[in-house]
Amino acid sequence: MPPVLAFRDVARSYRTAGGELPVLRGISGEVPAGRAVAITGRSGSGKSTLLHLAAGIDAPDSGEVLLLGRSLGRLSDRDRTLARREGIGLVFQFFHLLPHLTAEENVLVPALVAGDPPGPARARARSLLARVGLGGRGGDPVQKLSGGEMQRVALCRALLRRPTLLLADEPTGNLDEASGQVVMELLLEVAREEGSALVYVTHSRELAAAADEVWTLHAGRLEAARSGGAAPVAG
Amino acid sequence: MRQYLPRAVAKEVRGGKALFLLAVAGVALGVASVLSIQLLDASALGAFSGTVKAVSGDADLSVLPWAGALDEALLDEVLAVPGVAAAAPVFRADVAVDGRPGVTLELAGVDLVSPRKGPRLLDAGVLEAALGTPGWVAVSSAWAAEQGWRAGDRIGVSLGSRRATLVIGAIVELERVAPLASRRLAIMDLAQAQGLLGGRGRLHEIAVRATPGVSPDALAERLAARLGGRGRVATAAQRTVEAEGLLGAFRLNLTALSLVSLLVGGFLVYASVRASVARRREELGVLRAVGATRAQVVGLVLGEAAVLGALGTAAGIPLGWLAARANVAAVSGTVRNLYLLEGIEGIALTPGLALLGVVTGIGGAVAGALWPAVDAGRTDPRALLASISLEERVGAGAARLLAAGLAVLAASAAIAAATARRWAPAGFVLAVGVLVAVPLAAPAALRVLTRLPRPRRLGVREGARRLGTRLSAAAPAAGALAVAVAMLVGVTVMVGSFRTTVVRWLDATLRSDVYVSTPSWRRARSEATLGPEVIAALRALPGATVAVMRQHAGFGAGRRILVSGVDAALPAAGRRVALVGGGDGAAAMAALRRGAVLVSEPLARKAGLDAGSTLALRARDGEVTLPIAGVYRDYGTEGGAVLLDVATYARLYGPGLPSNASVDLPRGADPEAAVRALRAALPGAPLLIRSNRTLRGEVLAIFEQTFAITRLLEAMGLLIAAAGVTLALLVLARERRGELALYRALGATRGQLFRVFLGRGLAVGAAGLVLGAAGGWGLALILVKAVNPAFFGWTLEVAVPWATLAGEAAAILAAAAAASLYPAVAASATPAQELSRDAL
Repeated sequence: MPPVLAFRDVARSYRTAGGELPVLRGISGEVPAGRAVAITGRSGSGKSTLLHLAAGIDAPDSGEVLLLGRSLGRLSDRDRTLARREGIGLVFQFFHLLPHLTAEENVLVPALVAGDPPGPARARARSLLARVGLGGRGGDPVQKLSGGEMQRVALCRALLRRPTLLLADEPTGNLDEASGQVVMELLLEVAREEGSALVYVTHSRELAAAADEVWTLHAGRLEAARSGGAAPVAG
Repeated sequence: MRQYLPRAVAKEVRGGKALFLLAVAGVALGVASVLSIQLLDASALGAFSGTVKAVSGDADLSVLPWAGALDEALLDEVLAVPGVAAAAPVFRADVAVDGRPGVTLELAGVDLVSPRKGPRLLDAGVLEAALGTPGWVAVSSAWAAEQGWRAGDRIGVSLGSRRATLVIGAIVELERVAPLASRRLAIMDLAQAQGLLGGRGRLHEIAVRATPGVSPDALAERLAARLGGRGRVATAAQRTVEAEGLLGAFRLNLTALSLVSLLVGGFLVYASVRASVARRREELGVLRAVGATRAQVVGLVLGEAAVLGALGTAAGIPLGWLAARANVAAVSGTVRNLYLLEGIEGIALTPGLALLGVVTGIGGAVAGALWPAVDAGRTDPRALLASISLEERVGAGAARLLAAGLAVLAASAAIAAATARRWAPAGFVLAVGVLVAVPLAAPAALRVLTRLPRPRRLGVREGARRLGTRLSAAAPAAGALAVAVAMLVGVTVMVGSFRTTVVRWLDATLRSDVYVSTPSWRRARSEATLGPEVIAALRALPGATVAVMRQHAGFGAGRRILVSGVDAALPAAGRRVALVGGGDGAAAMAALRRGAVLVSEPLARKAGLDAGSTLALRARDGEVTLPIAGVYRDYGTEGGAVLLDVATYARLYGPGLPSNASVDLPRGADPEAAVRALRAALPGAPLLIRSNRTLRGEVLAIFEQTFAITRLLEAMGLLIAAAGVTLALLVLARERRGELALYRALGATRGQLFRVFLGRGLAVGAAGLVLGAAGGWGLALILVKAVNPAFFGWTLEVAVPWATLAGEAAAILAAAAAASLYPAVAASATPAQELSRDAL
């Protein structure tokens, strides 16, 4: 069985006023099914870019990104979009909830995009909200939720369609310590329960230590890939 | 802040070229609408006054006939009045040019020898030829060029069934004397004109110059006293005012329609500036934080709008000029045929009109930007720098705006109801109320969309549904579209009602089988008569009953009216008039035979006349008072008309030949065969011989021509509104890039985002359509029931042209869909990487 996600000698640079700025240089690595990988590194080291490449919302200049063995670069825009829709759940640092929708409506957005039957989708959304401790809050406008609650809603949205790969870009970066801890625990637990592989970007060594594996990026290169030990999340 | 403005404008243009250009286009189209109407309006009046100037020179006063023509003997009497320095006789006749349908010459026979104040029309060298060559005529260089005439050419002309041959003696630069004068004007010697066209001893004007030091007003009084009822005295200015009065209702309606386009353009500016202010809240917050005052922020926003307005004006003025030029023929036709004034021969953009365009464009843009500017100015820096949900504020205001709209509507209805009887514009007050209420209801209408059932898949319906939560951008577009649609529906129903009414009126009154008149009749009336040989040929048709009519433009109830003499004794004459209130036509004809008069509905309304009252009518020998037997429907002339029995007509105006005739054929006879027979019997005669069917077709063609300019204004309004839809969706695509990127990140395809925006465009179209249809129905009732009776004097039946409306509805939705294509493509191209921290 192929790994859920694989990078093969991936390079990516951006054009700036000062010329080409290499962000990623020859990254290779694999994320097996059900595993949690934390990506760490300094600001500008290419963590978010790597995550975007994994999600197929950015494309490498060279090398390959494989999702369940399929090279994303060889897919058309539409097929890449469908691959993302079917196989990937995304969690963002700034939640990106739609402000005019309720919590439950936000969770249901991927079902709307995919055209899933509304009944089962709604039942799944409610079950996920209950799982993350927001059982009675589905009808609340998202603007009335706290930051931690918003990120839990975003987590439910990412999990709604049972993705094989969950990508989280600094999911606790916009939260206070306590809320961040709760969200991270939930992220890891629920991903495990759902059987999704998890790749998350974080600055925090403690949060990275909770992963099965930690990838550290430095100046666009994968400096070290080591086992994280899946330690419990500690503040 | 002054130094900051150019940078801010440049940044705005760079940041949103399409948005800026659409707003500029909105202003340009609004300016073009208003300016084109004002250009045509000024040119119509300019043509009249220019022709007066060209013919009468710089005369202080004119002596004019009350009806038909003046007796030439009056000239000596006028010259004998103290204070008259000079008096120039003028004989005028509109003649038709043989073999060129629709081509006419406005002949002016003048005394070429007498000294004339003002610019000379003819060089001294041509005088001898002008007097010595039979049929010598000077024509304008423009008309000669258009007709391909050269000096020495001979052209056949006709006045009624009388024919004459003219010789092009000189081609003159009329524009030099009076730039807007009719190009059809032709000058010839007075005696020749009278002799050739059967007008010996008759004049149509005596142009009078006052002795230096004598007041024209005082001289006018002395002349009027001397002439009694034999002629009326007017200054050139008074004559122009009369022409303005004749065209008043027509001008007012077109001006009102053009202002609606400007209003729609104003919505575009509002939407564009609002989007700009929303996008630049942080920038404005920083400016306030570093010390800019509220007034400076307001000034900055209004300054940008003024630049936008100036660019729109720069494009709108030439566009308006082109639109006016394209419609010269249609409006000129209406002015010539319906109001019997000089047709528009050219348009001139005067500095005054250019200034009007500038004021309209920049003023409209600044007015459109006023609310967003004031709103930005009164918000404190902290609030500007904080992220806010504009949608929330607009959403909460939807109910309040709807309530405000209903209040405006109720208030305007109350004012209209209270003043309807004594104030003609009362209907316009209510119409303005409708046009204000319609856009104010737009946010509430869009909120309803949120109640649409949730679709299973992201696409068209979801785009429409979510529009209810995107009010700040969508509501102005829907409001603007609703105003344009209201105008379209209102005018369509009004025109449809008018058309149906005219068709029914023609059914009721146009009952003869064949109609005979002359090419020059429409404008020359009593001068364009049918010769006895023509009437004899009509009577020679087997079994034919011939009815004749005499007609002239006269004065009655203190205004210029059309006076017609008909044979009231003819069998079934009563069936040829449709009385208001469905009175007995036969009884009315019997009253006509006893010397009474029937007055047309427009005249009755404008002069406050009714059956049983009396009409003061100017006759040949002074004013007579005639009893009014009834009021009849007439859609032929807005100015007013009266019907007399031919015997009464002859008693009042003297003997004369008929100006047109109609023939009733025996049952089963073929009218077209009769037309052919008459043409064969009268070979080469300058006659218009038409069957009932042909005449009806021509009447309806003139009707359609009258409303051609209306359709242009409707199209301009809709074009602006479509630009508004594009602008609103582009604003949404820009402001919501983060949301679109999120959808893309969550797996939405480009096609899905395209369909979402298509749905939004269709939703704006549907909301505009529904609101506009409701408002348009109200406008139609106001136009049909209030404005037309009050301004034109016509009663119209409400008749809804459903098929036309359905076609228009489909076209509006198609236009909304087309208007959303570009924004939809732009939105669908949003990459998922656009997700940034403040994007939502």
